[in-house]
Amino acid sequence: MVSIEQLNSGHLPSWCPGCGDFGILIALKGAIAKLGLEPHRTVVVSGVGCGSKIPHFIKTCGFESLHGRALPPATAIHLANHELTVIAIGGDGDGCGIGLGHFMHTMRRNLDITYIIQDNEIYGLTVGQASATTKKGTITKSTPHGTPEDAINPPLIALAAGATFVARGFSGDIPHLTSLIAQGIEHRGVAFIDVFQPCVTWRKDLPYSLYQQKIYKLEEAGHDVTDWEAAVARARETERWPIGVFYKVQKPIYTDQIPFLREKPLVKADISNVSIDKFVEEFL
Amino acid sequence: MAIINRLNCKIGGPAGTGVMTMGALFAKCLQRAGLEVVGTNDYPSLIKGGHNTYKIRAAPEPISAIVGKYDLLLALDRLTVELHWEELVEGGAVIYDSDHVKEPSSLIGRSDIVLIGAPLTQMASAAGGEIMFNTVALGAAMGLMHLDFAILEKLLKSIWARKGSKVVDANIAAAQAGYDFVKEKNGAFRVQIEEIKGKKPKMFINGNEACVLGAVKAGCKFVAEYPMSPSTSILHLMAGHEREYGIVVKQTEDEIAAANMIAGAGAAGVRAMTATSGGGFSLMVEALGLMGIAEIPAVIFESQRAGPSTGLPTYTEQADLLFALHASQGEFPRVVVAPGDPLECYLEAINAFNIAELVQTPVIVLLDKFLSETSLTIEDVRSIPVKIERGKLMTDEQMESATGFKRYAFSEDGISPRCIFGQKNSIHVASSYEHDETGFTSEDPKMRVAMINKRARKLSAIPDYIIAPSFAGAGEDSAEILLVCWGSTKMPMLEALKLLGQQGIAARMMHIRYASPFPARAVLSALTSAMHSHGKTVIFEGNSTAQMRSLIFQKTGYYIENAYLRYDARPFKAEEIAQAARKHLGR
Ligand SMILES: Cc1ncc(C[n+]2csc(CCOP(=O)(O)OP(=O)(O)O)c2C)c(N)n1
Ligand SMILES: [Mg+2]
Repeated sequence: MVSIEQLNSGHLPSWCPGCGDFGILIALKGAIAKLGLEPHRTVVVSGVGCGSKIPHFIKTCGFESLHGRALPPATAIHLANHELTVIAIGGDGDGCGIGLGHFMHTMRRNLDITYIIQDNEIYGLTVGQASATTKKGTITKSTPHGTPEDAINPPLIALAAGATFVARGFSGDIPHLTSLIAQGIEHRGVAFIDVFQPCVTWRKDLPYSLYQQKIYKLEEAGHDVTDWEAAVARARETERWPIGVFYKVQKPIYTDQIPFLREKPLVKADISNVSIDKFVEEFL
Repeated sequence: MAIINRLNCKIGGPAGTGVMTMGALFAKCLQRAGLEVVGTNDYPSLIKGGHNTYKIRAAPEPISAIVGKYDLLLALDRLTVELHWEELVEGGAVIYDSDHVKEPSSLIGRSDIVLIGAPLTQMASAAGGEIMFNTVALGAAMGLMHLDFAILEKLLKSIWARKGSKVVDANIAAAQAGYDFVKEKNGAFRVQIEEIKGKKPKMFINGNEACVLGAVKAGCKFVAEYPMSPSTSILHLMAGHEREYGIVVKQTEDEIAAANMIAGAGAAGVRAMTATSGGGFSLMVEALGLMGIAEIPAVIFESQRAGPSTGLPTYTEQADLLFALHASQGEFPRVVVAPGDPLECYLEAINAFNIAELVQTPVIVLLDKFLSETSLTIEDVRSIPVKIERGKLMTDEQMESATGFKRYAFSEDGISPRCIFGQKNSIHVASSYEHDETGFTSEDPKMRVAMINKRARKLSAIPDYIIAPSFAGAGEDSAEILLVCWGSTKMPMLEALKLLGQQGIAARMMHIRYASPFPARAVLSALTSAMHSHGKTVIFEGNSTAQMRSLIFQKTGYYIENAYLRYDARPFKAEEIAQAARKHLGR
């Protein structure tokens, strides 16, 4: 068992005071502690962005990959050793801009991994350009006349792509988010969690208070998490912003289809002397 | 007088009619008759239509390229006769489908050619289906050569076995019909094959297949790939054997995913690879740097096709050498190796996985279309001892007590003991950012220099004997000329050495395999010794800018004046290499 304190890496986060990423970090640690995961058997895989620095601030194994590329290495680490807990995490730019292709494809694969988007509706690290989740008309440094495009809706994308667990959390509600992340990790299959993450520096127009005013909890609204159409309808709401679990169903996971992985993880295969006798015969 | 056991044969037909499959089968029959065989193809980027050819050369001694004109043309359509009759030797033969090719003599401007019409299509439908007309043609070719039909029968059985006995029987009947028809009709063909019995079975394998075999032998367990000619057959062959060898083969959404996946698998301790061509490799470039800075072992097979951009998808070139060496921003060590023939593909694939773990950095195996799809007879590779070396990879037991373990610890050779995710005490971040010994981001100038130097030192751990160039032909003392090449050009150049020898010219070949680390001392010593003893050196490359010459100059300060470059997207021919050498010698 590991406590939240034991998950401190010893490095202080470099985020702006008040950044929503702090709440996500605390919730992630809380979920890992709550589930009793072993830190060396947990891998936090991120992309590049403010939020993606998170592997350095949590004492688990980490892989800080390239901008937009958290999911491919997360996928491969899971396939290499499916006994590990793999949590991919990154910004909205990371997952819905440059990495959108990986996002959709990973959702349809139903790998047993968790993917969290730190959704601040802005490119934080590159000092404030519009992202794919920035709502139409928003003024940012790269869109001084307002963004001309409609925003992407991450839970809706995950639902459309076939994710078996889709949720949204709010970094300002840490106990609720902790529970969502824990449920996501426990879910057997791919779990996607979009997290409202206020950016106090570049999105002063999206303060904590606005989120608090707009959000409501799905579990208090009688939402049926097995009803995909209802989940889609909830995800499309714009007047009020639902948080909680949109959708959760059980389906066979990717590795179920790979018979030899039932014996042992790939990394445990003995490679010291692979016999190619039969293979060679094909060429004789 | 018949020619014994030497055959050049070209098979031609429209795409989608099994020209390549049939060609490979015929080649294998010749090999099973005890001969050494070369098989290579030429086809446009089309699924249906378009003209495909497969070329075969068989001889009693080891050979590595097609040389000379053809004794036999197997024409599955009229176009084949029209396009290729001029490539026939005096007295050569054409077997053609008399159901579809009418009056072939009107296409041929020579009278010495033996025309053998066979109703391939009719015989095929009598045996069970027109689509087997290529099998009939194969039987016909066997019959013409008086090859033992049992060889073909056995091969057809093993190939079609999984489709059931009906398919097997129909194919054998089709082949037999062709065999008997031609055997009865013609005994006057200039070539006779006399089976050489009692030889140890050898392998007939192309570059891509040999890479797969090597990777499997090396313990590769994860393949992430997005299809792209001419690398795609690597994906297919791997996928076909995934269950048998416990390999996870992932077709990815793109090459960016493929490269980033092998980075993840490598960091998790699994031997991982991808295969692609230049276009896909372009998309992998950023991940290459990630593997460099995070010190992750992985292997990338890059089969060059003629570029730039989409280029000529099914044609060959050697123009990605400098790209492979320099791809990705910043500076980090990488290994780039270009095997020269299928056997080297097998051996270098194994080396690649060992070296990737030894120096904890990506290894690029540079192939090209010509090598990927040229098959040679090679020894049974099972007789070659293979060692799996995992470098400084820590075992689970060692990690149990490794408190305070630093994944990127400084060391004399720059190589840190390597833990993998999941091991006790393995907690670290593998990062794309510059970092300290623990993997934590660092922008400290001293740390930066120390890390650059640490990584740069690693390549010295690769032994000289592995990267050394290879030599063939005349010895250093007796040679009159030094011919330099790299990659697949080795195959035709070996044949060029023989041609030159027949003409009384002692030529020596230097074949460079490793572009990084570069065997500078060995290359320079060969070049200077050639300069002093005969002063005749020519480099042959399949690109328009002599990229290897630039590399040699950069690494050794030696500039090879004379470059013979071919960039029409076709491979070198032995004859042209020999001719260029002669010209350079003024003979
Ligand atoms: C290939 C590439 N393009 C651009 C960048 C520059 N870059 C770094 S982070 C980032 C966007 C960050 O936004 P987001 O993913 O939303 O993360 P946040 O900083 O908001 O947490 C960009 C464009 C990069 N590192 N790599
Ligand atoms: Mg963002």
